[in-house]
Amino acid sequence: MSNIHQLTNKEREIAERLKTVVDPEVAVNIVDLGLVYEIEHNEEEKSIRVVMTLSTRGCPLGDTIMQNVEVVLEANYPGYKIDVELVWEPMWSPEMITEAGRQAIEGM
Amino acid sequence: MQAGLSTKNAPSPSVVLPHFVFAALMFLTASVVMLVAAPQLVLPYHLNSGMLTLTHLMVLGFITMIIFGSLYQLIPVVMEVKLYSEMLAKITFWLFGSGLLILVFNFWEADFGSAQNWLWFEISGTLILAGVILFAINTLKSAFHSERMDMGNIFVVTGIIYLVLTVSLAILIIINFAHPFIPVSVLDLLKMHLTLGLTGWFLFLVIGVSSKLMPMFLIIHKLPDYLLKYTYYLLNIGVIALATTYYFYPQPWALMLSALPILAGIILYLSYNYYAFKHRFRKNLDTGMKLSKAAFIILAFTVLLGIFSMVSPDFLSPFQLHIDIAFIMSILFGFLTALILGQTYKTLPFIVWLQKYSAKVGKQKIPLPQEIYSDRIASLHMKTFYVAFTFLILGELAGLVWLIQAAGAMFIITAVLYNYNVFKIVFHKEKIIENE
Repeated sequence: MSNIHQLTNKEREIAERLKTVVDPEVAVNIVDLGLVYEIEHNEEEKSIRVVMTLSTRGCPLGDTIMQNVEVVLEANYPGYKIDVELVWEPMWSPEMITEAGRQAIEGM
Repeated sequence: MQAGLSTKNAPSPSVVLPHFVFAALMFLTASVVMLVAAPQLVLPYHLNSGMLTLTHLMVLGFITMIIFGSLYQLIPVVMEVKLYSEMLAKITFWLFGSGLLILVFNFWEADFGSAQNWLWFEISGTLILAGVILFAINTLKSAFHSERMDMGNIFVVTGIIYLVLTVSLAILIIINFAHPFIPVSVLDLLKMHLTLGLTGWFLFLVIGVSSKLMPMFLIIHKLPDYLLKYTYYLLNIGVIALATTYYFYPQPWALMLSALPILAGIILYLSYNYYAFKHRFRKNLDTGMKLSKAAFIILAFTVLLGIFSMVSPDFLSPFQLHIDIAFIMSILFGFLTALILGQTYKTLPFIVWLQKYSAKVGKQKIPLPQEIYSDRIASLHMKTFYVAFTFLILGELAGLVWLIQAAGAMFIITAVLYNYNVFKIVFHKEKIIENE
């Protein structure tokens, strides 16, 4: 399992794919919002595992975002076993937003 | 999917959406009533048909109805429980809605003379009370199953209990009109009713809901929750003290003393909001949050009016009645209306968007929730609302009928534009964006 800041090339490619998943409230992608904590790509087992969080517990769009992650991964990596895990620890905070995410939010 | 995800608990949109449509239409009706009944809104006695029709259209038809709809959506999502009964929610809507329509029609027709027939008031009051009790059963039964009873949720639950007390007292007041049995002046009973309704029901609800939504909309974490805890204790002490003082010992000094904890509680809540807006990550506010910010500024202004209304200093005595009415209008047409107009855009589009598009997310290019209504229209009615509210408060303070009529006209424009967007959202047709 790779931390979002220490990804392999393949996992970086997966992170780029996940940038198409947008939080509809702020219209910023989930990777730049800092919601994706870990990505694991296992070529032998043909599996992809994503560990992520949401900006708040009880986020009204929570399962829509999670479903979007699954759909995007299934579409881009057919034949892979996709596992998206939701965690609440560590708790998300605005400091986790990337520079690109900050610019997107400030430019809104 | 995963444990801890709550969106799947949300009820069917057919439970929630009729509340928003009904409420929007009642806001428009209230605006028309303001224009037509303006001469009655400066009269030296509060119990006139125009004032009662207007306030009940706003309090029950617009504000309470939209809170009912919002809570059916919000309680399951933030408390992570299923709504106890969707059928009960639909029955509540019809009981409460029909009761309200009968009530305001009777207020409009009433002359409150000795020959006044109270039967339809009793019938409509009973329908409203039945609706409120069913709403309370439904939401409290849901809430008590929740394992997430934080401060925001406790505010919501307490607010619902105050709602039941408010409407029960209203029924007693109606019965007391027809068959007097309560040894307290009608005016003091009505002030008890106002204290329970405005501070108990509305303020508790607003605080509970805003503490849940603000972190999401402003992108902020680690809010000073201890302020909410102190606010909760102070407001409860104040509401109970003030309501009982109106009943047992309605002397000016005792009433002022009882109201002090409410004042302190509101100041703490405003500090909480100030902190949230000051430390927010999302600096650029959309129309919904601009209106919400305006609501909190109007609340601070309303508190000032409230202080002048309660303290009634000698130099303001010729304007006392005007200040009292301006205070109530500032709560209903200022603070609560601004908040509802704004928060409609932060909730309703998402409810409809989830219904129409959640199954298509990631598979097709779809519009964002913000794209299913006109922000230009929202921005326009934000401006007309500011003008309308300013006209109304100045009109009430100066006792100028023509200015209140101008306020009514501006509120009609505001309400028409708001209705346009509400209907545009509720009746949104699915659309898939073609790839460029």
